[in-house]
Amino acid sequence: MKLIACTEGHSGKIEAFSLEMIAAARSLAQADDEVVAFFAGRDAEGASACLGAADRLIVACSTRLDVIPAEAYTLLLRDVVTAESPGLVLVPYSANGLDVAADIAARTGWPLISYVNEIKRHGESLTIVAQMYGGKILAECEVRLPAVLMINPGAFAAAVPDPIAAVNVQTIDAEPVLTSGKVKMVAIDMPDYADVDLTAADRIVCVGRGIGDEASIDLARNLATMLGAEIAGSRPVVDNGWLPKLRQVGKSGQKVKPKLYLALGVSGAPEHLEGMSQAELIIAVNTDPKAPIFNVAHYGATCDLFDLVANLSDRLRAGSGR
Amino acid sequence: MNILVVLRMIPDSAGELQLAEDGRSIDREWLDFQLNDFDDHALEEAILLKEACGAKVTAVAVGEGANRVLQMAAARGAEEVVALQSEEDAMISSREIAASIAAMARAKSADLVLCGVQSTEDVFGQLAPYVGALLDWPHVSGTNRIVANGAVLRVTQERGAGVAVTYELATPAVLGVQTASKAPRYVSGSKLREASKTPIGRATPELSGFERSAEIITLRLPVQGGSGENLGGNAETVADRLITILAAKGLARN
Repeated sequence: MKLIACTEGHSGKIEAFSLEMIAAARSLAQADDEVVAFFAGRDAEGASACLGAADRLIVACSTRLDVIPAEAYTLLLRDVVTAESPGLVLVPYSANGLDVAADIAARTGWPLISYVNEIKRHGESLTIVAQMYGGKILAECEVRLPAVLMINPGAFAAAVPDPIAAVNVQTIDAEPVLTSGKVKMVAIDMPDYADVDLTAADRIVCVGRGIGDEASIDLARNLATMLGAEIAGSRPVVDNGWLPKLRQVGKSGQKVKPKLYLALGVSGAPEHLEGMSQAELIIAVNTDPKAPIFNVAHYGATCDLFDLVANLSDRLRAGSGR
Repeated sequence: MNILVVLRMIPDSAGELQLAEDGRSIDREWLDFQLNDFDDHALEEAILLKEACGAKVTAVAVGEGANRVLQMAAARGAEEVVALQSEEDAMISSREIAASIAAMARAKSADLVLCGVQSTEDVFGQLAPYVGALLDWPHVSGTNRIVANGAVLRVTQERGAGVAVTYELATPAVLGVQTASKAPRYVSGSKLREASKTPIGRATPELSGFERSAEIITLRLPVQGGSGENLGGNAETVADRLITILAAKGLARN
């Protein structure tokens, strides 16, 4: 059986989760199986230089576009799936993967499981553990092959970056698909870190939905100032316009690794955990004792966050006056 | 432009979720159901597009409490509201409702289908790409800005880490909305009362074009709490303890 591991990258950097997709495929491959990595983009050399944990690499190469629209990625992958007849396609849960996985499943009629955390293979079927309800429930499903799986970043330890032998690299010209596709890329906006670079911050106070309203963010902001920390928010806070996008932590925001991460009223959806679970010290405050944020926190408290902010602020203020 | 926007009612996962006796579903008896956040943004984006270019917006809702949310959609500016019947006490599988949404898009000559980029029940995949594939229309997920110029859409997609990519595509299309260009608007009580007169259409589901992805063998709660230390629920005690912890690590003075 062939297992296709979908990989991504842009701006000369292969996404870290690419190596996780290969590792996941490798963990399921049996003796006669083949792990085939698929990459679409401009950095074919970068892919060849680090995706060597796969047996074979198929690169859909564009000399023009750094970021490949999901439509084009999917069209190219569809051709690969048709040609290779894999038993399993592993797609990262990424902005690109969201469009790719369901499209491939729809066109092939194969089953798709999203938010996958664990996979066990039993011959021609898999037992999958996937997240539901923002990580509050785990669903165990049995899936027959062939199938498409969308894997949570971080669910599998990454394969070791390693070059792949040139003889095992097959290159496809992506340009005809990019030219004929219905979705045309017209601009890429890279983040402007002039205001704040959360990825460089070593202390972060992050507010979640539990902060309640925009005005209350000032309380957390004052606490952050006293701690020498940057204020940040989870997706609902940013979506509500209470904090700017550059201050969002999570899958569609910034991936941070500070010395201190104080999460106030953050539930800890998988998308949020993906952005902050590598922090050195995580302190979570949430009145819901079952909030998933407590699964990654080093210290957790279930008190009212406003009471805590007030108490902490009083103590820090008193401490600074000594 | 005809816009079809999909509104899914899902369990409020901010509350406590209990497993049902069969071990394969959640106990829905005492659960609050709410509009999927991302679908709320899809509705807002639809109304913003209508205001910008004069589109007609049809809102289709599925799940428990659909009537209530459809009245809200009408109050926000949807011209037509339709409840898609769904199985009671069952999760909304995007894979299984995709055929119904695709059929409605065809029947209403929709130029654009909008839905939230995902829902917490999307264990079998996301709605926008399924509908896009069934209709063979281009689809883009994770959008946070949509601008229409006639039949041409400019769509901005979040790619993570602050990277945003803008695409151009022609209608018909399907878009999975991450965030609307503006936060979902507040609806006054008087508008809601007025909108309650809007007739709610009924639609019966189409047979799914797909086999079920899988049967759920069992649901379980994740192991809670990890290995972290529980500091309890008394704010004063927690604050004292945190100051000590932070001071020991050189992160604050005690």
